[in-house]
Amino acid sequence: MSRWQYFFRRLVLSVPVVFFAMSLVFLVIRAGPRDPVAAALGQNQNPEIAHRMRVQLGIINPDGTPVPLWEQYIDFMAGLVTFSFGQTWVINRGAAVLDLIIARAPITIWLGFWSVLIALLIGIPLGFYAGLRPNTFPDYFASFGGIVWRAMPNFWLAIILSSVLVSSEGLTEDLIGVPLSWSNFLVETDVIGTASLANLGDPTALIAATKWILPPAIVLGSASMGNEMRIGRTAVLETINSDYVETARAKGLGRRMIVWKHVFRNALIPLVPVISSEAFVLIGGSVLVETVFAINGLGKLTFDAVKQGDLALAGGLLFVFAIFLQVVNILQDLLYTLIDPRIGYDQS
Amino acid sequence: MSETATTELPFRERLRENPRPALLWVGVLGVLLALEIGAITSVAITVMSGLAGAVASAVAMVVGGPVVPSIGGAIDGALTSAAHVADGLPTLLSRDVIPNQGYQTPDGTWHGTFLGLEPKYAWLLRVVMVYAYMFALLWWCWRGYRLYVRHYRFADWTPRDDMVDRLRTHRWGQFGFVVVLLFVGMALFAPTVSPTPADQNIYHTSQYEVQYYDADSESVETIAVLDANLDTASRGAGTTNIGPWQYDQYDRFHPFGTMPNPGQDLFTFMAYGARISLAIGLIAIGVSVVLAGGFAMLTAYYKGLVDLSVVFVSDSIQSLPGILLLLLVVAVFQSHWLWEIYNGGLLLALAFGVVYWPGLWRAVRGPALQVAEQEWVDAAKSYGQRSMTTMRKHMLPYLLSYLLIYGSMSLGGVIIGIAGLSFLGLGIDPPTPEWGRAIDTGQDYVTTPAWHISLLPGILIVIVVTGFNALGDGIRDAMDPESEGEDASAGATATGGGA
Repeated sequence: MSRWQYFFRRLVLSVPVVFFAMSLVFLVIRAGPRDPVAAALGQNQNPEIAHRMRVQLGIINPDGTPVPLWEQYIDFMAGLVTFSFGQTWVINRGAAVLDLIIARAPITIWLGFWSVLIALLIGIPLGFYAGLRPNTFPDYFASFGGIVWRAMPNFWLAIILSSVLVSSEGLTEDLIGVPLSWSNFLVETDVIGTASLANLGDPTALIAATKWILPPAIVLGSASMGNEMRIGRTAVLETINSDYVETARAKGLGRRMIVWKHVFRNALIPLVPVISSEAFVLIGGSVLVETVFAINGLGKLTFDAVKQGDLALAGGLLFVFAIFLQVVNILQDLLYTLIDPRIGYDQS
Repeated sequence: MSETATTELPFRERLRENPRPALLWVGVLGVLLALEIGAITSVAITVMSGLAGAVASAVAMVVGGPVVPSIGGAIDGALTSAAHVADGLPTLLSRDVIPNQGYQTPDGTWHGTFLGLEPKYAWLLRVVMVYAYMFALLWWCWRGYRLYVRHYRFADWTPRDDMVDRLRTHRWGQFGFVVVLLFVGMALFAPTVSPTPADQNIYHTSQYEVQYYDADSESVETIAVLDANLDTASRGAGTTNIGPWQYDQYDRFHPFGTMPNPGQDLFTFMAYGARISLAIGLIAIGVSVVLAGGFAMLTAYYKGLVDLSVVFVSDSIQSLPGILLLLLVVAVFQSHWLWEIYNGGLLLALAFGVVYWPGLWRAVRGPALQVAEQEWVDAAKSYGQRSMTTMRKHMLPYLLSYLLIYGSMSLGGVIIGIAGLSFLGLGIDPPTPEWGRAIDTGQDYVTTPAWHISLLPGILIVIVVTGFNALGDGIRDAMDPESEGEDASAGATATGGGA
């Protein structure tokens, strides 16, 4: 099978997967024990609004007769496929779900971008550094740090970091006698809350937006950073002890040359799935991290939607996430085959 | 083990030939267990009443009607009286034998504590004794295994011996083992290691009283626990803050300090929270191990369409971030009867199991396919053995070790997951203690003198999860020294990412 055939097959296979996943979501939302209308409107619901909502959600017909579940299912899936997710009823009554998602997405993308970047820029170099100096103090330090770092629940880390940064002025004054305020560092920003991403072309605005996103991004990137460190270390160790590196050394190649040309490239291969699995951590973790840092992104939107019973919005969000994750998975497979042509397409 | 000796004397015969070591061992074990019989039965009753509650609710769901409350009531009544009997049973290391709550008179002596010790030392003594007991019991079990190997096992050597040898030199795995044991001990002996009982400190605070020495009236006074707790709550700023390793004004010792409203003892909260985490973790991992193991055998045995459909289902579940799926399930089921059981614990456990099995199945799929290719499976097939029997007898033993490795590694992830949900306010309902809720309640106090409320539970989670990861590493290296498969296991290792 050629590379492109393989890629195409992956693409086609992902369609039923997303489809089935959304069927599960439908089951939970519509056939589950909680009436989406009651969930959204709470105890004292206005019968007229409830009626309109039921009609709009496709649970009853305008004349009040219930719509059978299979018809609801078809409507629900058709709505997803055409990206018409309906309206929200709680978070922002009357607004289209898609508009809300589009409005909130940039902040989460900005957060995700920095978390991945931080994880890559710190995790991989540290892992390689540790792998090139096995069983030395820096190696133990990096390895152990990676293990512990990885086990930290990110919501906890987020609380600690945000609290420390919020009161950094008083804390540093108590500890080292010099008041250093994170909020006033370089440009003035809040630690908690949503900064503007309006004109990133302006250097000051860009610095402000970057500085504001760094703490949550460090928290969000931390879990995968530990993984990258660990796997990077193992990969370097394995390649360093492999035959072709031995051969290169026997030929009299310089250490620098061996490390850059032979070790690093090959050590990157096992890191590909780790990097792409970051996408899952990012989306799952963004719910917690955005909640702690009060960032109005998709993660917080999901949490609010679920908690307040805006199930139409929750369904739409899950669909968007599922598609995004499938894209990442497919990209990972593609990247894999591009980096390492030995990885067969024949294997199922 | 006894299968290895089918050609020789059966185990029973060998036992009869040389009964002395075995009898001695069983005798000492009996003494050890008898010392703590009260605690052991009370744990058993707690588990049973949890099960009975689940069954009763399930029956109520299916049958409905008025029959059920009476049955549930009868079971409840029986268990309650059993619990009373258990309370009456002698327990060496109980709170009553080594009490740690008393009052100090101005001359510096303590009244009401064990041997007049300071509450700090009385409590420490009890904790140390509990763990000493636990480790002694385990050591005795380990001795029992050695005894069996020396006297009763027919084979001189089995592959398991190598595994045990490898574990004996695996320091990292042993570290994990000890950490996990400390955690499990904290959960099992929660009523004994906590400075005050949960009932007194969390659930029915107004029904209990504490005695303290009042300096103003120069006499011993009593105060309801409810009021005492409110007076000693840690709220960061202000006058009341009881940090770790401090006494409050009612002469109560708080190893981890107190919590903000309504001011329970944090260590008690954590100890009982460990129970919940462990119970949910074990059920969830149990569910996903059964699902993953079953599917792995079915797919490896039948391949083809069966394999494809399981791939399909597991991919679908995995195509959604786990925590979002859990959030959704919890939100939707919040007022459902399933939620009533164990304050939402059972539903959470089931949901975690359903979300976790695809990952586990992916991890054991390779080994399952491998074992299905083995000659002995072929041979069993051609002898006409039933497929179920083949899977159970010839495939399952091979898979169990893998399931054990990945299961122990994922357990930490479940603990983080429950804590995350509780932190968001969607996990276990209050007042039932849960670590994530402790972190949540302490959120506003991190940089105040009441920093301990968020920090300590978080550190504990990090240690426990690291411990489970280390134990998983140790078991993996012991079972299969060849696999330095860090990249293979990284997917299963619990991370704090919350996904």
